[in-house]
Amino acid sequence: MSVSAPSRELPTAAAHARQELQLVGFRVGSEEFGLDILRVQEIIRFQELTRVPNSPDYMAGVANLRGRVIPVISLRKCFGLEAGPCDKQTRIIVVELNGSIVGFIVDSVSEVLRIPADLIEPPPRLAKVEREYVSGVGNLTDRLLILLDVERLMGQAGSSGLQAPAG
Amino acid sequence: MSDDLSKDPGLLQDFIVESEELLQGMDQDMVALESAPGDQDLLNRIFRALHTIKGTAGFLALEPFVRLSHAAEDVLNALRRGEYRLNRRMMDAMLSARDQLGAMLADLRDGEQHAYSLDDLLHELENVLHSDPPRQLGEILVDQKVIPPEALQSALEEQASQASPKRLGEILVERGMASPAQVGNALLRQRKASEPRTDISTMRVDVRKLDELINLVGELVLERNRMVRLSRDLAAGTVASSDFEAALGLSTARLSFVTDELQIAGLKTRMVPMESVFRRFPRLVRDQARFLGKDVQLVVEGQETEIDKTMVELIADPLVHLVRNSLDHGVEPPDVRERAGKPRQGTIRLEAFQKGDQIVIGISDDGAGLDPERILAKAVEKNLVSQERGRLLSKREIFDFIFVPGFSTAAKVNDLSGRGVGMDVVRSNLRKLNGVVELDSEVRQGTTVRLRLPLTLAILPVLLVEAGSETYALPLRAVLETVRVDDCQVHHVEGNQVLHLRGEALPLLQLGALFATPGTTSQNTQKKVVILGVGRQRVALLVDTLIGQESTVIKPLGSLLQGNAQLTGATISGDGRVRLVLDPAGLVATAAHAEATGCGP
Repeated sequence: MSVSAPSRELPTAAAHARQELQLVGFRVGSEEFGLDILRVQEIIRFQELTRVPNSPDYMAGVANLRGRVIPVISLRKCFGLEAGPCDKQTRIIVVELNGSIVGFIVDSVSEVLRIPADLIEPPPRLAKVEREYVSGVGNLTDRLLILLDVERLMGQAGSSGLQAPAG
Repeated sequence: MSDDLSKDPGLLQDFIVESEELLQGMDQDMVALESAPGDQDLLNRIFRALHTIKGTAGFLALEPFVRLSHAAEDVLNALRRGEYRLNRRMMDAMLSARDQLGAMLADLRDGEQHAYSLDDLLHELENVLHSDPPRQLGEILVDQKVIPPEALQSALEEQASQASPKRLGEILVERGMASPAQVGNALLRQRKASEPRTDISTMRVDVRKLDELINLVGELVLERNRMVRLSRDLAAGTVASSDFEAALGLSTARLSFVTDELQIAGLKTRMVPMESVFRRFPRLVRDQARFLGKDVQLVVEGQETEIDKTMVELIADPLVHLVRNSLDHGVEPPDVRERAGKPRQGTIRLEAFQKGDQIVIGISDDGAGLDPERILAKAVEKNLVSQERGRLLSKREIFDFIFVPGFSTAAKVNDLSGRGVGMDVVRSNLRKLNGVVELDSEVRQGTTVRLRLPLTLAILPVLLVEAGSETYALPLRAVLETVRVDDCQVHHVEGNQVLHLRGEALPLLQLGALFATPGTTSQNTQKKVVILGVGRQRVALLVDTLIGQESTVIKPLGSLLQGNAQLTGATISGDGRVRLVLDPAGLVATAAHAEATGCGP
């Protein structure tokens, strides 16, 4: 078995000619996700949040982003996990969503990936509600990346609570 | 496109040079036109420029130029004849036309000739004239019953038979069928349809305000220079530490003062007189009163009262809705009024004044007023309240039902409120501005609606309080007083807490419990209470500590957090932490709800 640096692109000659998606890869719980880089405004270290009383469970609080108050959401809570320990790896991904700025707490951010569009498969046809916020799955050589559709995630959050995905 | 004339280099050259000049002038004029859409001189100049280009281009058989300038000329003609009012779409189309002419001219100069596909642009220029076909002047006058249809017919016939047709309005006036005022009125109605949207990214500012601002910035610069010198002296060791301390203290004090003034002056530049909101009402009232067959007088007071520019946009629609309400349901028809012993003419009063740190805008009429009985009946019918509970409600609480979405006691729904603004939207618009709506009415006598807005949007003096381990901010304008109370003053009634203060019973909310803040609440027997007042309602808020007052910038919470009625914003403290600002109106509502439903908050 060849030991090469983890390849992130399809190792064929025609890769450059195909459409590519640029994603920010991050971990929440035991799964790895990807978010379209065009939506990501910045990634900041975890900072102290101010609780917002009587807010949904996934609303971790509000933070001061250079003078602007933004809501911060815990993706762990969104996916039905317990809030994780905030360590040096924890990050907040700041996203622009429907005109407002929102932060998402993730366990760690891995890298910026380029994925050829033809490696993206539609989400697995499981009859699970949580798959609603998955816009696709990236089939990389060494792992599976869940493409997160934050808009749908927040849309769901707006209406009712979020369902927990199966492990 | 080749022709002997167009091959003549001299003629062509002249055309190019002349047209380039005209297009340049047109550029400037068009930009100026945007801020002065009715300027007849500008319109005529642009028209003539296009006309000249068209003429010469026709002479030289440059067909694309002719077609394009002709289409643009049509638009200009309609504008300068007053048939249409300039709107954004027209402006864009005209600018596109001008740019296209410029591009084609550049090609011509370079000796190139292309086949230009002008269809889209030509189509658009045509469309901007037909998209909002204004109602014909004649139609409007017939509608208003100023002239009978036969008179319109004969006037149109006369116009058609004239070599250089006079305007319809002129013909009617000449024949004595309509007065100049009536024609003018109808023309204004015609233009109302294509009113350009007010551009909120620019505004006019009184030069005096700008001078004040510049002055203060100057002071700031001076203070900065002093501090730099001081700092340098300290580093160089040329100042004794006691002197330094004194000098720093002085500098800080001056800096504080200048900054406060600068803050206020800055906000003032964004304030415009209420006149800009109120000026649409005389016409509105006149037109609609006529339409409804009512006789109404509009009295406007306080036009010079100033409000923040951004508020103007959000206030306009609610005010229009409220005035329409008064016209529609408030003021009665003259006969009804006479029978009721009132003067045939009704009065609607629009006023604005400053009270403390609030702007108060009032709309009142001397019309039919609101009947609490009818409203209560409707509320019971809609299951908003039970019959028994309804009997216990005060008149104000009954009026509150009017603000429930979809609630309307009007027997039939008029077509007048074109934008679908209801009382609930009025209230929510006001809340967006940190304001409140109050309604008061006496049946058969009249109704008054009061809008209360904070004087400035951005900066709010607040009272900082602590509950558990969290700090919250309360807008100071809602704080009536703070008191220390004993346990014995707090009573429990039907699952709620009530504070007895100087013989009065106020609903009591415990901030710590309300927000489930972590940390233990103080166990003192003496408790600290903040009395909040919103309109005429009050609530007592129990807190752990009163920290102090602060003037701070309020940041919006964003749409995601909009749902929480008890929060109105956030502020950033000196150490960078976010502190939530509570909404007194929301707290009052929570207490009222708790009281009404008989269960604790």
